[in-house]
Amino acid sequence: MRDPEPNSNQLLCLGLNYRTTPIEVRERVAFRESMVPEAVQQIRTLPGFEESVVLSTCNRVELYATHTHTDPRAAHDTLVGFLVQHFELGQEQAEALVTYKLNTAEAARHLFRVVSGLDSMVLGETEIFGQVKAAYQTALVSGTTGRTLNKLFQQAFSVGKKVRNDTTIQRGSTSVGSVAVDLAEKVHDLNECRVMLVGAGEMSRTCAQSLLSRGAKSIIVSNRSYDRAMELAAEMKGSALKFDEWESALHEVDVIISSTSAPHFVIKPELIEQVMRKRRWDPLLIIDIAVPRDVDPAVNNIEGVYLYDIDHLQAIADEGRREREKQLSACERIIEDQLDKYGFTKPPGTLVTA
Amino acid sequence: MRSGDWRSRKTQLVTMTLGFLLQTGAVYLRGQIVGQCPMKSVSDVLVFIAWSMVLLYFLVGPTYRVSLLGMFTAPLVAGLQGIAFIVPGAFPDYAAKAQINAYVELHVALALISYAAFALACITGVMYLLQERFLKRHKIGGLFYQLPPIQGLAKVIQRFVLLGLVLLSISLGISVKLHAPVTNTHVLFAWIVWGLYALIGFIIWRHALSPRQTAWLAAVGFVIPFISLWLVTHA
Repeated sequence: MRDPEPNSNQLLCLGLNYRTTPIEVRERVAFRESMVPEAVQQIRTLPGFEESVVLSTCNRVELYATHTHTDPRAAHDTLVGFLVQHFELGQEQAEALVTYKLNTAEAARHLFRVVSGLDSMVLGETEIFGQVKAAYQTALVSGTTGRTLNKLFQQAFSVGKKVRNDTTIQRGSTSVGSVAVDLAEKVHDLNECRVMLVGAGEMSRTCAQSLLSRGAKSIIVSNRSYDRAMELAAEMKGSALKFDEWESALHEVDVIISSTSAPHFVIKPELIEQVMRKRRWDPLLIIDIAVPRDVDPAVNNIEGVYLYDIDHLQAIADEGRREREKQLSACERIIEDQLDKYGFTKPPGTLVTA
Repeated sequence: MRSGDWRSRKTQLVTMTLGFLLQTGAVYLRGQIVGQCPMKSVSDVLVFIAWSMVLLYFLVGPTYRVSLLGMFTAPLVAGLQGIAFIVPGAFPDYAAKAQINAYVELHVALALISYAAFALACITGVMYLLQERFLKRHKIGGLFYQLPPIQGLAKVIQRFVLLGLVLLSISLGISVKLHAPVTNTHVLFAWIVWGLYALIGFIIWRHALSPRQTAWLAAVGFVIPFISLWLVTHA
């Protein structure tokens, strides 16, 4: 263990997130990407402040800074004042602003947890790592980071990687959309994967978008309302198909996401048997999101066909969340070890809110 | 080494490479001791096949983007070498150092490398069947995430079967050139193995069976070459 290096600069983090602050307030104080370079410069010019990084995502706004104030509370108050002034908040809004104010070890611990995805709404998600990296890069380019924040963020990235490599916190799926992606990935190479939406419900749209964002090759949308199919297809840069034509195109796709409002099965074993013969048994994933179900469960007995209904998807997502929660203590241990290694030996403190 | 991610875990890849180099050195030294390619006793054959499996993995793995040296291949390689050391009369001196004929050596070496390809097809078949079972039964857990997509596994089975068939065909072509009688035990068994895998290859080509049934064939089919090795080395 190394001793913390003597430094007149004190580290602080002022933040608000989805736990502390409702969306109505968060969106009021969110920094647009283009505003961040200016914001980090403004913080730096506040009295007693030297370095700054601004992290602003849909779930959190956090200001990391170093200061020379002898009283950390004065530094925090200055930052709150900055937020109020920057976003021109009225007195009522300013009073509703619930923030956490963390100093040195707590701030470092918090950043390590954020980077590792432990503070995210979806536990263990990896997107936040890139968002923190981008926030740091913006500050670095703007010249508002110095020795303390450079070191802290590099340590944070190293801790984030370690947590992900040494635990399975990011394994498994925690939402229906990500389960659909995981399943599709284990049946086909996603880059070659062609998807068909039968019915254009919100949930099937979410699944299709998840697949597209992970590299699915193409999307075909078929819906009773052809206009709606065209609208959705345009949104996802896919193609629309008339509802009386989807059956004849089934053999050309690798993933079917079905969510019609039909009161009976619309995809039956006889149809899929024909499709599989045409596909020469190339595997086919069918995701049935409809309630009542669109796909006869007997379809799952056909060679090379993998059928998942909404209950299956939900159960897998629940299991994924449980598995990640089981990893939480191991992740926290790694973070504590790393805090110790980097000289942040202060015992864990509670989140101070004001 | 994890399956399904060729680029993962550099240290394990380095360890495996080191193991392969040591294995290569051991095969070379054994060759020096017996004065020819060490492929006559069951121990030597098992070691040579294990070595060939790792060689094929290094040659083929990156191309197919499928790590087969995970929890599947590495234990089999270790197991084959373990058996090689415990069989009675392991690594004997060869009775007579015969006149070395390069064609004979090449014929045997190619046949054994083709058997290694069939062993890898067998392992891939097992991986396919496991992944297929997870998907069918909606059992999404640890190993599921490690295994590659089943479509990819089906392609790898095809390629290993094809690779093995080509190598064994060349090997048997050399035996024909050498006028080796088909009644020779090892030539006879080699033709039987070739026939079996030619049939599997034909089934794959014609899509006569589903990928799952083909995976079963590839997995169970390796029993024939494995037994034939035993019989040939004891004949």
